Amino acid sequence: MKAEPTTQELRKLVADFRPGRGHVMPALHRIQDTYGYITRKAIEVVARQLNTTPALVYGTVSFYDDFRTEPPPETEIKWCSGPACHMRGGDRIRRALEAELNMPMGGHSDDHRYGLHLGQCNGTCHEAPQVWVNEKVVGNLSVVDAIHLARRVKGSE
Amino acid sequence: MNKQLQALIDSAQQKWAAERASGRPRVNVCVDTSSLARGAEETLQKMHEVARTQNIAVDINVTGSWGFCWLEPTVTVRTAAGTRTVLYAEITPDRVEEFLQQTVVEGVDIPEWALGVVEGNPTGEIDLLSDHPFMVGQVRRLMANCGTIDPGNIDHYLAHHGYEGFGHALEMSDEDIIKEMLDSGLGGRGGGGFPTGRKWDFLRNASASPRYMVCNADEGDPGSWVNRVLMEGDPHLIIEGMMIAALASNAREGYIYVRYEYPLAVERLQTAVDQAYEKGLLGTDILGTGFDFDMVVFRGAGSYVCGEETGLMSSIDAYRGMPRIKPPFPAQAGLWNMPTNVNNVESYANAPLIMRNGALWWSEVSDQKDKGTKMFTFSGCVNQPGCAEIPYGPTVRELIERYAGGLTEGSELKGFQAGGPLSGILPAHDADLPLALDPYRERGMFLGSGGIVFFDQHTNIVDLCLWMVSFCEFESCGRCTTCQGGSARAVELLRKMENGTARESDIERLRDLIQTLVWSNCLHGQFTLTSVKLALNFFEDEFHYVINHRRDPAGSLDGLHRYVVRSQTDPQLPDAVDICPASAFYDDNGTWTIDDELCVQCGACKEVAPNAIDVLDRFPAREHAAAAAGGS
Ligand SMILES: Cc1cc2nc3c(=O)[nH]c(=O)nc-3n(C[C@H](O)[C@H](O)[C@H](O)COP(=O)(O)O)c2cc1C
Ligand code: FES
Repeated sequence: MKAEPTTQELRKLVADFRPGRGHVMPALHRIQDTYGYITRKAIEVVARQLNTTPALVYGTVSFYDDFRTEPPPETEIKWCSGPACHMRGGDRIRRALEAELNMPMGGHSDDHRYGLHLGQCNGTCHEAPQVWVNEKVVGNLSVVDAIHLARRVKGSE
Repeated sequence: MNKQLQALIDSAQQKWAAERASGRPRVNVCVDTSSLARGAEETLQKMHEVARTQNIAVDINVTGSWGFCWLEPTVTVRTAAGTRTVLYAEITPDRVEEFLQQTVVEGVDIPEWALGVVEGNPTGEIDLLSDHPFMVGQVRRLMANCGTIDPGNIDHYLAHHGYEGFGHALEMSDEDIIKEMLDSGLGGRGGGGFPTGRKWDFLRNASASPRYMVCNADEGDPGSWVNRVLMEGDPHLIIEGMMIAALASNAREGYIYVRYEYPLAVERLQTAVDQAYEKGLLGTDILGTGFDFDMVVFRGAGSYVCGEETGLMSSIDAYRGMPRIKPPFPAQAGLWNMPTNVNNVESYANAPLIMRNGALWWSEVSDQKDKGTKMFTFSGCVNQPGCAEIPYGPTVRELIERYAGGLTEGSELKGFQAGGPLSGILPAHDADLPLALDPYRERGMFLGSGGIVFFDQHTNIVDLCLWMVSFCEFESCGRCTTCQGGSARAVELLRKMENGTARESDIERLRDLIQTLVWSNCLHGQFTLTSVKLALNFFEDEFHYVINHRRDPAGSLDGLHRYVVRSQTDPQLPDAVDICPASAFYDDNGTWTIDDELCVQCGACKEVAPNAIDVLDRFPAREHAAAAAGGS
């Protein structure tokens, strides 16, 4: 896992963003793209850079499903919640993954080695039902496939 | 034509001609989100590797999608002499070596893998691509470049009439541009169908400046990926459309708001914007005309309501993507409270075609009230989940048969869902409805932005409603009690049905909620229960059946089923015990039993040991189904 960025590093990273220009999301994206997540310090740095308050910046971070305030797990299984996947047994896959990984949707293991995330359909419905493992589609899954996948990710298989 | 633009086009055409006259065969690999899901990146790498290690002289390029998403990776091969081009399907990495050997080195076709001849004459074994059943009836206008040009190369776009529409617009007055747009009859492709020309005219007549041009590329409706195909396949078409709109309405800056789930679209749009700046097509004093226009590609971060135009603007100019109350409308007070125009990707993408070929040419393709062509994506219980562009008018059934490749084996159509989670569910007999806006409006829903999802006898209506309303609940911005609380309550009621604890009176409660949610401030809340409303119109019996009998013939309401061990001696029973992710099997004095409390109804045990496990109804049959009726 990368070390937490310092205030100085963060300030440098977002130095070209300006208040009142729609730069809140772009600043947050750049931080997340660089460090994998948005730290507490980052929220304060962005607030200062954009001449606003940490409350408003945090409000933005928490509003969107894909901003993170914790380091991403090394291996993330993102489960597709879309309609084609649903009709082909997606919910059974979800329950099996939650049970096998022993975590709710959105959870991660204590050591951040693996986690489970709710994903939205991106129009690869021809592979339904599917999950993404670190953004790569693993499709046409049976429930059994999903359980084996979870076991491999956990390291128990 | 503007001289500078003409010079750009001339030079692009020369480059295009030179590329094609390289004397080497040309291999184009479709690389888009769909093909990447099916291994296109590996195919592309393998092509380069084989070409390098075996010293094969070949030009390898990347293109967008032809719409054959279920057959990716698709690849075209053009002969060195340029006499013919053939489109192939499913060129997976393991096929690459043989593929290159035959098509490039030996120069022979592989009929078994071919979809059709793109350029040149058909052979006895390979028909013209335009005669392929998937292509017959399609009119590729928006998708004309999808699959044929490199979306990362502005010269390819310029060499195919790119920015010509903008060139025409430069010679027209703003009134004339708007008149042409109005004459075309183009209606907004985001679902509403509002005349695009009228929207532009609102902005043109706005009193304040600066003005903004916003492209809604949030494509949040799950099951819809038409905008993605365009952004990944021909990004300049969208940029050009926004430039024409900006010219007509005097806007100074444009934003393309792309959903988080489409990183490749963001990348391709950003490259396209950068290249347009380099060519002087964006920025200040564009092509020496004095027209200034800047463009920003803006990434969302995962929120469905940011597809609602005012939520989208809040997401750009404020903090959280909360929809605003209308009026004021965007043309009065949009981004930073300044006049703004918001259109869908596909709406903008039509503008260059209209400017280039005229309103009449554009509208004549369809004899419907709704003009022009429309892109559709289809998924669910069909054989060919893909993307097609057709004039409005054919029936849904024709769409299934011709483009979606019919229903999957064993499926009987039960109904379909068009327009996303805020829209409705229709029964199978409505597949005779034409693909046009009015019939769906009349039923209290909308055809939507292009995604249609088909379902069969294995989907319970209560389950489908629960899925749709849960989506809306999850995506509620939280401002209106009616929406946030109302959708949560609706989910609760539907869950009771799923779990066999509902009563007849719960249907009335759902009906009450439909009335309450319409008070929500924005369309998200107002339309959250469209699915339930229409399901109660068309499938009411199924609700009663689920509630009264606690039975689910479709087999998709998992809460009404339980898993039990049928055979203690089945050789696969140990596999079932082993696969259970919930450790729900226990050994009761030599008898394997499933603990209902622990079982998560995932069905894995039944998958590995079909003869050892039974799926039973969770609840005993009711002597008097009516017992469930009455109050709570
Ligand atoms: C909750 C909600 C989500 C929406 N999502 C989208 C979307 O993803 N893409 C889109 O073009 N329009 C979406 N719309 C419609 C837009 O508000 C708006 O009507 C549209 O962008 C106008 O463009 P058009 O006139 O070109 O269709 C959504 C509306 C609502 C209420
Ligand atoms: S429904 Fe899962 S990818 Fe579309």
